[in-house]
Amino acid sequence: MSRWPRLFRRRRDQELDDEIQAHLIMATRDRIAQGETPVSAELSARRDFGNRALVHEVTREMWRWTALETFWQDVRYSLRRLRRSPGFTTVALLSLALGTGANTAIFSLVNTLMLRMLPVEDPGQLVQLLHRYPGEPHFNGFSWPAYRLMLDQNHVFSGLTAAAYQSLHVRQAGLEPQTTDGGYVDGNFFPVLGLKPALGRLIGPEDNRTGDATAAVAVVSWSYWKRWFNLDPAILGRQIIVEDVPVTVVGVTPRSFSGLQVESSQELWLPLAITPANLRPGGSWFSLSLVGRLKPGVSSEQARAEMAVQYQSTLEEQARATNNPYIRKMKLEVEPAGAGLSNLREEWAKPLLVLMAVVGFLLLIACTNLASMLLARGAAREHEMALRVSLGAGRFRLARQLLTESLLLSATGTLLGAFLAIFGARGLVRIIISERRPGAPLELHVQPDVHVLIFTAGVALLTGLLCGLVPALRAMRAAPASSLRQAGTTGEIKRRLLGRSLVVAQVALSVVLLSAAGLFIRHLSNLEHLDLGFQRDHVLLVTLNATGSGYDNQHLSQAFQELLGRLGAIPGVRSVAICGSSPISGAGANRGVTVEGYEAKPAEIRNVTENWIGPRYFETLGTPMLSGRDFSLQEPARPRLAIVNRTMARYYFGSGDPIGRHVTFDGDDQPYEIVGVVGDAKFYKVRETTERTIYLNTFQQPWVASQFALRTSLDPGPVAADVRRAVSGSLKTVTVQRVTTLADQVDASIVPERLIAALSGWFGVLGSLLAAIGLYGLLAYTVARRIHEIAIRMALGAARRDVIRMVLRDALGLVVAGLLIGAPIAFWSKRLATGLIPDLPIGSTLPIAFSAVAMIAVALLAAYVPARRAAYVDPMEALRHE
Amino acid sequence: MAMATHKRYQNRIELFQGTLDMLILQTLRWGRQHGYGIAQVIRVGSGDVLQVEAGSLYPALHRLERQRWIKSDWGTSEHNQRAKYYRLTAAGEKQLTSEQSRWAQMTAAIAGLMHPRESEAKV
Repeated sequence: MSRWPRLFRRRRDQELDDEIQAHLIMATRDRIAQGETPVSAELSARRDFGNRALVHEVTREMWRWTALETFWQDVRYSLRRLRRSPGFTTVALLSLALGTGANTAIFSLVNTLMLRMLPVEDPGQLVQLLHRYPGEPHFNGFSWPAYRLMLDQNHVFSGLTAAAYQSLHVRQAGLEPQTTDGGYVDGNFFPVLGLKPALGRLIGPEDNRTGDATAAVAVVSWSYWKRWFNLDPAILGRQIIVEDVPVTVVGVTPRSFSGLQVESSQELWLPLAITPANLRPGGSWFSLSLVGRLKPGVSSEQARAEMAVQYQSTLEEQARATNNPYIRKMKLEVEPAGAGLSNLREEWAKPLLVLMAVVGFLLLIACTNLASMLLARGAAREHEMALRVSLGAGRFRLARQLLTESLLLSATGTLLGAFLAIFGARGLVRIIISERRPGAPLELHVQPDVHVLIFTAGVALLTGLLCGLVPALRAMRAAPASSLRQAGTTGEIKRRLLGRSLVVAQVALSVVLLSAAGLFIRHLSNLEHLDLGFQRDHVLLVTLNATGSGYDNQHLSQAFQELLGRLGAIPGVRSVAICGSSPISGAGANRGVTVEGYEAKPAEIRNVTENWIGPRYFETLGTPMLSGRDFSLQEPARPRLAIVNRTMARYYFGSGDPIGRHVTFDGDDQPYEIVGVVGDAKFYKVRETTERTIYLNTFQQPWVASQFALRTSLDPGPVAADVRRAVSGSLKTVTVQRVTTLADQVDASIVPERLIAALSGWFGVLGSLLAAIGLYGLLAYTVARRIHEIAIRMALGAARRDVIRMVLRDALGLVVAGLLIGAPIAFWSKRLATGLIPDLPIGSTLPIAFSAVAMIAVALLAAYVPARRAAYVDPMEALRHE
Repeated sequence: MAMATHKRYQNRIELFQGTLDMLILQTLRWGRQHGYGIAQVIRVGSGDVLQVEAGSLYPALHRLERQRWIKSDWGTSEHNQRAKYYRLTAAGEKQLTSEQSRWAQMTAAIAGLMHPRESEAKV
């Protein structure tokens, strides 16, 4: 027995002892009062009482069957029964572990990205300001003037603050230089968040004095304090050098606080007043992340409405000042920030909800499957139950025992699932952050917290109840008399009906899951077969980093031209080119242009996408040259040349010839001459309407591009080592920053779609497998029960074929019923999914048809084994048993 | 070994089995009381005819408590002795009423069997 009831029992023993002792003392006192001497009084009181140990013993007998002990008895009984049928237990535990594990894993991601609240004062009041261009992801980056304006003129925030997040190079005496994530914050940052220092003081309004030497202070996080100073309070007053500026550490943030960003931990905080020039008050760089605290009673919608009006005037001003009407298209949004700022949330929120639904379905299937197995086991125990009811066992007690069994299964399954979830969540995090991202790598700390624990425990409880309720209710209605007599009674018919409807439910759920999987897989396949305008296979991408290499642009340009030759000579490389940004890397630039011979309308968007490339770029990527010529390595410095894509050519020149025309960028007086037109190609994302794109010759630019694309005749992987050797051989101080393939880069841009397709596909297969097991179990049981009837049929001349057909028809009936219920739900959930994933091919009925066919095939396979067994029944043998 | 002695106890109290429960409930009708007090009340109240053995009293008390007919808590006696006090619950009162009527029926029936004439004469 476990420790807990024993401890519980020990306390009661002690109490009983005290009670007996009190009895003896009182009896002794009475006897003394009647004139006995104390010694004899005590003796006779004891004699009267009798054997104390025995009284203790017989009283204790009365405690048996306390609720707790009954529970432990039920548990022990269930454990014995589960041990006795290892096959059932294994299947049940595995399916439950997968179901609950998948749910916990996905939920812990949802929790990390969307639910976990920041450890600041009243996080529910915090909102972030975002803006976006139509069709682009939103971003939280504002200019200083915009921030000042909002700060001064809003009526909706009780506080609004700004921070600029950045990787910081830190040097300090006696330590290696390191890079750590940090932020430059306005003086009101910590007051708005309501944070109190763990040590010293936090940055405050007094640190806002620009250019003042006393402003050069820093606040570090608890983790930084622990890692580099071993929690030594002497950190206060220490000087460290951040981005070449000496600053004095004045405080430590609270232990739980690691910044507002979900995907990174900020360890170093500095006043905005000491930032590099472009962040400084007056600078116009869009890099201030704004977070506000709503006044009580103000909704984020009200805040958005008010801030949008103000923001519009800022945009007008900027659009006029920069002569860039596109700026006016920017829209302001206000979103809750209590759960932190996240770069991944916008992209992943909906896919995670879809995944949550998928794993929810999987768990439902596992539950239904387990319920039907428990029901079948209940049938086998009908006799035992009936006997116990007639011997006086409480029906409630029997039901409780069955519930104990299913709860025990679900608890164990969930525990196993929790372990799976830890690995699953880690894997998912790796997949999610594997996405190409310019800048610092992301980290996601998926820790089990109260939310996750409550969720998992809830799942376990619900699963246990769902699985166990039906069999338990059946047991409560176990009629002793009827089932002690023989089978074939109404109870039996009811049970079979129940078992059959559970199988139908499993089929229906599986159909929904399978058709959803089909839909997602088809969607993914559509994405993968989009015409991107380039050939994604067999292209290796190599990014070099020349910062700190000691080359000036002219020499680097020279060296890169030589490198192109060396790379081109590697066996297996067909062509090689240099480019500023490669397709679908998510990076790119755009600028306003004036095109010779084209009159721009007043509010027209004049920005075009630009890329810097070298010769043979289009040949390497597989984008066709439509007219004109490519760049070459032997271009003179002037005229500067440009190649445009077909969209740009059409937009500005219609059917006219663009070759020889000139384009001038805003802020540049020298024009570029168009020498070629190429086909359209996707640039930022696989799903986008192609933008006007202009390609400039990087060797005519003040900064040479540093990314190389190599088209190989076979798999590009093995070439990578040769490339690294070539680079280190010719450019000793230049480092290789990143090596990938174009195909991987394209895949990385559709990670959510791939993950949803893969998980829903696997879980769909798993679900239908479980449904097949359920169907198999039911049919095997039915056939065993009908052996007598089958034997008579065969004795009367039924052929084996007829018997097989009979069983299969039975199975088919169940599957068709499941399809009839599942298909409408599948249609309905398809509509639901379009709200979460854009461009789903919902018009197609193929996925549902496919899942129906798959379900029927799986069901017939599952039914075939019992059918065969039925067909090979020996009538003589079976009938003789009677 | 415990079993054997246990049986001996049960034999001694056999005569008294169901009635003890009733007598305990009856005693507690007048207020809360500890085990020793209950035994004293029954002994004195019956003119020393009924002696309640500790070996049957405490199992009975604990059984009644399990059945929720009585409740217990710790208190101090008039001599400042810490003791466990029992008190009747609403369910216990109901139980007492039904046992009383059963007791009346039973004694009447037994009386009828033992002294047929007398009982006939009464009816």
